[in-house]
Amino acid sequence: MNKDKGFLEQWGPIIWEALIETFQMTSISLIISIALGVPLGLMLVLTRSGQAFENKWVYRISNLIINIIRSIPFIILLFFILPLTKFLVGTTIGVKGVIVPLVVYTAPYIARLLETALLEVSPGVMEAYTAMGVKRRHIIWHVLLREARSSIVLGLTIATVGLIGATAMAGLVGAGGLGDLAYRYGHIRFQVDVMYAAVFILIILVQVVQSIGNRVAAKLKKD
Amino acid sequence: MIQLQSVVKQFEAKNGTVTAVDQVDIQVKKGEIHGVIGYSGAGKSTLIRCVNLLERPTSGKVIINGVDLTKASPEQLRQSRQKIGMIFQHFNLLKTATVYDNIAIPLKLLGYSKQEVEEKVKKYAEIVGLTEKLASYPNQLSGGQKQRVAIARSLSQEPEILLSDEATSALDPETTDSILDLLLEINEKLGITILLITHEMNVIQKICDYVYVLEKGKLVEHNTAIELFTKPQHPTTRKFLNTISQRSLPDSLIEQLNLTGAVIRLTFVGESTGKPLIADVASRFHVQPNILAANIVELKNGIVGNIVVHINGTAADIADITRYLTDNGVQIDVLGGTANE
Repeated sequence: MNKDKGFLEQWGPIIWEALIETFQMTSISLIISIALGVPLGLMLVLTRSGQAFENKWVYRISNLIINIIRSIPFIILLFFILPLTKFLVGTTIGVKGVIVPLVVYTAPYIARLLETALLEVSPGVMEAYTAMGVKRRHIIWHVLLREARSSIVLGLTIATVGLIGATAMAGLVGAGGLGDLAYRYGHIRFQVDVMYAAVFILIILVQVVQSIGNRVAAKLKKD
Repeated sequence: MIQLQSVVKQFEAKNGTVTAVDQVDIQVKKGEIHGVIGYSGAGKSTLIRCVNLLERPTSGKVIINGVDLTKASPEQLRQSRQKIGMIFQHFNLLKTATVYDNIAIPLKLLGYSKQEVEEKVKKYAEIVGLTEKLASYPNQLSGGQKQRVAIARSLSQEPEILLSDEATSALDPETTDSILDLLLEINEKLGITILLITHEMNVIQKICDYVYVLEKGKLVEHNTAIELFTKPQHPTTRKFLNTISQRSLPDSLIEQLNLTGAVIRLTFVGESTGKPLIADVASRFHVQPNILAANIVELKNGIVGNIVVHINGTAADIADITRYLTDNGVQIDVLGGTANE
């Protein structure tokens, strides 16, 4: 190791690259997870008893599947669903290979968080709109999701933080990222300063995500 | 306009079937205000929710403007609901929307043009007196103001019928009065038919033409407000009347007074309220009526007065006096120790 070079000069590009990888993994899996998790969460709420699309079996089965997936730790899930990953994206390594397990891990989590947020909406308001003869899909969008949007944003913030944590394990399938950097250099090669730097960046990242989430939620809340 | 025919609503509960509404018939003509009164758990809420099929009746017909809603397709039902406004005890406004949007959003969703929406919001915000508050959020408003927003939201769809589900139950007495005045005003000016449910007799007193008393899902008594206030038949009705005017006297007092003469309740309606009949009785029959209790209740369509007097005299005197009073349009009830409610 060259002691003459400064820390930033030596490690900067590697850390930067890891940061970009973390961003990639987080943003791509977040978007896909939202796309899958939001409808799933809606389904969980709307098929409950007494709701618009009450369906005991759809509710019970989706509830069960979500619970099963949520019971598996990410590191196990990563290997457990390798065949599925291979089938879906053709590879099980790299950023591409880790997106599938990240989505499988996060989408059910988002569905649960969305469910909680939606259940807070007063059924009375939806009833008032039903009584006015407003269409069901309009009620879902303009009443249910609208009234829950502040809690939804907070839920998505929690999911994003969880997702950033999960990407740390992506190094196991060679996808890189900050977590992988801290593990490989810090733990295995005893480059403690690199580990500190990676952890520090992760802390900043989570802080930023959380405060943006809080601020947006407060703004959407209005009351 | 509104016709409920033998409406029954049953719920399946863990310990068997619960009949919340049992063979109820209601008929409200255009432009009238009808009220259903009952204690909590009597089935009032379920009943009014059957009118716009928020609860689908187990059996019976719900006929609105000649159309049986229980047989309507989902689309027809949706269309019919647009002409049936509803206001609620807890207002049910969007917390995340301003007063303006709370009125405007349903209109937009029902397909009104941008210009129509704006016109209607302004018009109905003015009718309910909230023009100044259009930019406020519900949490910045008082209970009465929130209910006004809900009323404006209902009115903006120009319904023919307004259903009121305990709309004043969460409000203080003064605010209740102002909301009732508003309901009366929209009934008179816009000709909207109103069916309301309540547990407050003063709501009935103030704005209802016709009253139904509901107990355990059944209508135990129904009549015009004036008839109901003058000739209550059912014990529950009498209990409700006692909540706004003290009508009952202690049994022991009546028993004691009955030993020397009789305790009589005189109920005056309309023009007989204007006559000095007690003074007449005193001079004509040479008795000294002792007034034990008296009150006067102003109803939407008239005034009803109640006086309970003790008259010291023989049975023959009492019979003459009662005849005289009855001839003068006063309704007489002789209160025995047991007839007292």
